[in-house]
Amino acid sequence: MIEAFFNNFELMIVLTGALVGIAATLVGSFLVLRGNSMLTDAISHSIVFGIIVVWLLTGYASGPVQVVGAVLTGLLTVWLTELVAGTRRVAYDAAIGLVFPVLFAAGVLLINLYARDVHIDQDTVLLGEIGYVWLNTVTVLGYRVPEAVLTVGAMVLVNLAFITLFFKELKLSVFDPGLAVALGFAPGVLSYVLLGLTSATAVASFDAVGAVLFIAFAIVPAAAGYLLTDRLGRMILYGCAISVASSIGGYTLAVQWDVSISAMMAACTGIFLLAAFLLGPRYGLLGRVLRSRLSSSAGGDPSSGKLAP
Amino acid sequence: MAGGSGRLGKGVEPAVRHEPDLAVHVEDLTVSYHSAPVLWDIDLDVPPGVLAAIVGPNGAGKSTLIKAILGLIRPAAGHVYVLGRRIGSVRNRVGYVPQRSTVDWDFPTTVIDVVMMGLYGQLGWIRRPGREHRRRSLAALAQVGMEDFATRQISQLSGGQQQRVFLARALVQDADLYMLDEPMAGVDATTERIIIDLLRQLVARGKTVLVVHHDLQTVTDYFDWMLILNVRVIAQGPVGEVYTGENLKAAYGGRVALLRDAGTKPAGK
Amino acid sequence: MLLSDFTVQNVAAGAALLGVTSGVLGAFAVLRGQSLLGDTLSHAALPGICLGFIIAGSRHLPSLLLGALAAGLAATLLMFLLDHYSRLKTDAILGSVLSVFFAVGVVLLTWIQGQAGTAHGGLESFLFGQAAAILRGDLLLIGSITVAALALVSLFLKELKVTVFDPVFAATLGYPVALIQAVMTMLVAVAVVVGLQLVGVVLMAAMIIAPAVGARQWVNRLEHMLLLAAVLGAVAGVSGALVSSAQRGLSTGPVVVLVACGIAFFSILFAPGRGVVWERQNRWRSSRRLRTRQLLTTMLRLSQEHSDSDYATEEGMLNAYMGLGTRRALRRLESDGLIKHVVHMPEEGSHWMLTGAGREAAERVLRELGRQ
Repeated sequence: MIEAFFNNFELMIVLTGALVGIAATLVGSFLVLRGNSMLTDAISHSIVFGIIVVWLLTGYASGPVQVVGAVLTGLLTVWLTELVAGTRRVAYDAAIGLVFPVLFAAGVLLINLYARDVHIDQDTVLLGEIGYVWLNTVTVLGYRVPEAVLTVGAMVLVNLAFITLFFKELKLSVFDPGLAVALGFAPGVLSYVLLGLTSATAVASFDAVGAVLFIAFAIVPAAAGYLLTDRLGRMILYGCAISVASSIGGYTLAVQWDVSISAMMAACTGIFLLAAFLLGPRYGLLGRVLRSRLSSSAGGDPSSGKLAP
Repeated sequence: MAGGSGRLGKGVEPAVRHEPDLAVHVEDLTVSYHSAPVLWDIDLDVPPGVLAAIVGPNGAGKSTLIKAILGLIRPAAGHVYVLGRRIGSVRNRVGYVPQRSTVDWDFPTTVIDVVMMGLYGQLGWIRRPGREHRRRSLAALAQVGMEDFATRQISQLSGGQQQRVFLARALVQDADLYMLDEPMAGVDATTERIIIDLLRQLVARGKTVLVVHHDLQTVTDYFDWMLILNVRVIAQGPVGEVYTGENLKAAYGGRVALLRDAGTKPAGK
Repeated sequence: MLLSDFTVQNVAAGAALLGVTSGVLGAFAVLRGQSLLGDTLSHAALPGICLGFIIAGSRHLPSLLLGALAAGLAATLLMFLLDHYSRLKTDAILGSVLSVFFAVGVVLLTWIQGQAGTAHGGLESFLFGQAAAILRGDLLLIGSITVAALALVSLFLKELKVTVFDPVFAATLGYPVALIQAVMTMLVAVAVVVGLQLVGVVLMAAMIIAPAVGARQWVNRLEHMLLLAAVLGAVAGVSGALVSSAQRGLSTGPVVVLVACGIAFFSILFAPGRGVVWERQNRWRSSRRLRTRQLLTTMLRLSQEHSDSDYATEEGMLNAYMGLGTRRALRRLESDGLIKHVVHMPEEGSHWMLTGAGREAAERVLRELGRQ
């Protein structure tokens, strides 16, 4: 039975996608709430730099060494961004847009100069293809399992442990960083750990979905969850559910139309976001429009006027 | 008739004027945000030529009222007439001085440039300000005592100076109605004096001035007309009649009921 | 000479156009606090490019660019809706639109690749930038787009200025603020369209930001900032193009971006009046000045308290009072003739006494302080 599970070609692909989505959403939810969504973009792109540097130094193109390298690169990116923004001559988002392109550009040039024929090429890093997870398998307890399932699965566990252990601290640092500092919760350190885990999750996901699609998994389900509920725990839950659903839906559609599976999965997260935006029970647009129509004909419910910007 | 003047720019304006004798006429204005009303059933009649204060506790909706009158916010109900017309057709006769914090002071521009922006409405599309406009802008700066700062970069100004620049930007329009949002909050005593003197001069010339004022203590010194607001109108009228302990307690003394019941009737409109 | 090479000319010209448009059009995004619009719109362009390819049936540049613009428009509208009608914050909106549109683009790309027999070569150059793919005919198209965009900005400069600086006030003047903001976003889409071929999707973000940020450090008026941003952008573009042509095997896009960001960082550090290094030097200089003034007034007050106009202060006392070593500052005052070194008792430490000039200077400082 277990053998059938692991040998099911399609199921493993969907599982990988779902795991990527869950791992990404676990950390992404907090990033979205803190207004740091674009940092996932920055980290995902700048990791190319880390990958090539680690490869030049150690010769490893994947594995735990690369994960460590990715974490360091991600933290470097954030640290440099804060340094640039700290001069106060530049807004924070402008700083993001100055730092990660430099790292990415440096990475590309290094690849140009020293790694022309290695498999680290921009296509795979940026795009990835989840269908290829079967190219790298590992034998666990006698079963052949895609390596990606293991690495991303591990990330899910690590991320889950982190946010469970530090749930209240993370919650506080999102909503009231000042209080968090005063209570000794070191929101700065927490923040860096969160971003470090994001970097690790990113590189673990690259083989499967590539950089840009990782961003989709990190941000979009969490954003959709945000539109559906006011409770943090539920938001994360909904986000994970949407990730899984997108994985299943994306795979099905991609197979039908013969297109990139991982891209289709990411596109599905967008569909869920749109659905949450339009149809969400409390905040959905359609709901609010209907309520205001109903109230003006009934003559007197002040609770639904929209504010023009 | 539901829906206030929410469209910006010029709409089709009938020749009929409503309440031409009032500077501002507001009827049944209700504004809500998400699920709670910020302004409820506002009826307001501001006579022309007064120096009027709008006071109320935090969250009373004072800024919202100004924005609704200016047509920057679409109300859930009610309508607004300014100088007898809908706001869209009298924009050039209304000057607005917002709260200072709404702007990025690191923007690359000079003091006189900011003041000239007040004339953009009169210039229309594409036309650039010319020498005459520059002269008028300098004159407005002189009125607030800032003419020496004309070519200064705005990030180099102090809080009070920034406030005066905003004031000059409204003055240069030579409007008939001025609306100011907490112009004297957090400024030094000199700036406050300059501002109130200026407002008095405007009124002496026949303009109407509406000020969201932050300081209850100075209302009787500065203003001759007032509106006490806390989501709904608590009282409005000449300061002497309205500035009473009973009215202030009704406004500042905790939650305000949206609908009157027998025992807690606030002072009449 | 490099520039006599036909391909190099093309690349350099394309790079110059990229620099100018992203510098000028990007400035508005940066001033609005929407710096990462370039990132989002460059990623969002992909599905449009693919659609353009599908409809045109080949790599027909005008179709591709039109597709990119259309995708930019769709992204702009979607971002507007999400911003005004949902509680999502700006960053989440930018990130979501960026990744989802790009994902759709990859779907289309792989669909195109799956179609047997279509000549789909060259589409990937839009992802990563491939300067050599720029044809002279392309330059004409890109050049006209640039001219049109710059003309638009120039005509409506004051409208753009007031909308960015104070959108609420602009609304009270009667301007259709939301429309103008949408137009400004579309201008970034135009810049993306011009530059995408050269630098690719990822690096476009920096081109929108770097020239504008660099320019801002040197000048204080919007008009000057726009001009300087155009110049800096063009310089980055052309030098990047030349360097990458000179050195075999270097992609043009990354070099251009490194130059542009280098200029930006240099400006942040060294621009006079605003640069970080400049400010630090200034602060150091004025704290030095402050210290010598304090020493003078302290010595004057001590001599007044001791009712001795020839009072010689022991250096240790001054160190204790100031909380730090004063030897260097004292030497400076000595060389300015404001104090002199005296020998009090051989076994005690150095003593210092105010000269006549020093006394006058100290009194002057006290008068100034009294007035403040």
